[in-house]
Amino acid sequence: MYVVIMLWVVGRAIQVAARVDKDVKKEFEDLPEDFIFYLGVGPAGPYMVVGKNEKGKVKFMGMNPSGKNISLRLTIKTMEAAIQVFTFQESTCVAFARERFVADGELPQALGIVRVLNRIETLLLPKIVTKLAVKRYPKWSELNPVRKYLTRIAVYLGIVTG
Amino acid sequence: MQYISVSLPGSEDHDNEKIAKENLMEIPGYYEFCCRVKTLSGHTALEKIPEALVKLNASRPMIITDKGVAGAGLIELVKKAMKKKGAKVTIAAIEDDVPADSDVTVVNRIAAVYRKKKCDSIIAVGGGSPMDTAKGVNILVSMDDTDLMKFCGAGKVNEKLKPLIAVPTTSGTGSEVTLVAVIADHAKNLKMVFTSYFLLPDVAVLDSRMTKTLPPFLTAPTGMDAMTHACEAYTCLGKNPISDTTALIAIRELSQNLVKSVKKPGDLNSRLALANASNLAGMAFSNAMVGMVHTLGHSIGAVCHVPHGVCMAILLPYGLEYNMHRSGKQTGELLWALAGEEEYAATPVSERPAKAIQYLRDMNQELHDAAKGGHARFLSEITDREGKQMVPKEAFADIARTAIGDGSVVYNPEELSFDDALMVLEAAWEGVPLDLKKVKKGAKGMKL
Repeated sequence: MYVVIMLWVVGRAIQVAARVDKDVKKEFEDLPEDFIFYLGVGPAGPYMVVGKNEKGKVKFMGMNPSGKNISLRLTIKTMEAAIQVFTFQESTCVAFARERFVADGELPQALGIVRVLNRIETLLLPKIVTKLAVKRYPKWSELNPVRKYLTRIAVYLGIVTG
Repeated sequence: MQYISVSLPGSEDHDNEKIAKENLMEIPGYYEFCCRVKTLSGHTALEKIPEALVKLNASRPMIITDKGVAGAGLIELVKKAMKKKGAKVTIAAIEDDVPADSDVTVVNRIAAVYRKKKCDSIIAVGGGSPMDTAKGVNILVSMDDTDLMKFCGAGKVNEKLKPLIAVPTTSGTGSEVTLVAVIADHAKNLKMVFTSYFLLPDVAVLDSRMTKTLPPFLTAPTGMDAMTHACEAYTCLGKNPISDTTALIAIRELSQNLVKSVKKPGDLNSRLALANASNLAGMAFSNAMVGMVHTLGHSIGAVCHVPHGVCMAILLPYGLEYNMHRSGKQTGELLWALAGEEEYAATPVSERPAKAIQYLRDMNQELHDAAKGGHARFLSEITDREGKQMVPKEAFADIARTAIGDGSVVYNPEELSFDDALMVLEAAWEGVPLDLKKVKKGAKGMKL
């Protein structure tokens, strides 16, 4: 259940961050118009699906990938590995390095989504936790506290209100 | 991460507590290592090929190679070895028109010849391109298909293929022990990457005669390519105890034999040591992956068409320098393999990483001198046959943009952004060390 909730929160957060955070917005601008990806846990889920709709807006598309034209599949091999990642015991890049992830799709797109996930962690979580999960925490000059907290409030509000 | 204390040779002078802190072997919570390639190594290893084929239930091999290898007379050596008295094998076909960049149309054509001539196995002789082409042909003939695209990606080849024997003619790529093949579809302008444990060759044959004629300007960068495989496997995120072991021994052999081979190309013992080092480095990076040196090297190759080994030689010291705040301990440990145990023991722990990096820079200088200027030390020194500079500064933005989409960047200990890549390229172009104050240092808390 914890992983399901985390996936839901991350999916909704990406949708909002793509509107309010310039870095996430830029990453999605570089992706194709019909881009849809899922992040899930093997072998049978749960999953969360995010992609661009027909108007080009980034949308959280629910928890069921079936029937969708998925461009990129990011699967964490096992539930144990997913718990390691979502409890920040293991960073996303270390999980990749230890082959806990399977990326099926274009590699540059997968790396773009990894950068989005890192950014979401920076926006959602306290610095002390995020530092366990990302290689580099942004400096003040890259993300000043005022912008960070305003974006964080916007993302949390967006997660709740949609 | 669990730690066990392992004392490297030459540490006897330090007190126990210091040894425990300095020499920690990191055991990841989970890792995978696989290399099921049988290696035949020796000055006359080629002569063992017929026996190896018989053990694989094969008798009609096809030789896949390129014009350069054939022109150097290396295929004659293989043919001679196959005619060994009593050998029950016949070379069914020889295909020697593999291009420098493996190509899907060539793979399709060679696969058709394989079927027509009723071959039952493949002997790949050459560097990366003939090896990748042979792996591509093997996919088509074993899966009885004509569409290579179907098998593109990770793990799509999921059954045992026909016997494949790999005979490297350069000591660099390590393709004879890797599970990957890269084949270009030039018509569609895309590169197909295939990874599967079934792409590992059955046998790797390391014979000193196969690299004896490699000229210094090729021996130097291909050797530094192997050096980069080993150094990055040892210092990047995918490292594990088995890859560490193979990487360190590879570095030791390269350090002791690369300059020697460039100075004395006919020294067969050095050539065999290099072939073994490349093989070990291949095992290491195939299981531990590589980092930003390859990220930038792949990108310079893609944008400016610079040979891979040349980029590796130049960028390796920069990659280690850039990551020093993250993997300085591991870089310091490389000094043991590079300079020997006396030098390692005599160097204070804090100075080991910088000394290892300086050692690699000095090695590039020695190779440059030994190859009479034929080994580039900086990006600005790389020229084509007409003497034209191959990496203009104007290409840096394209290179950096390509770099952040390269898969190897994930395995690099420190983040590498577009601006970071530009900074490293600038320094590598000028040939000056990185200004470490300008390197952005990431979160200290992340568990590597």
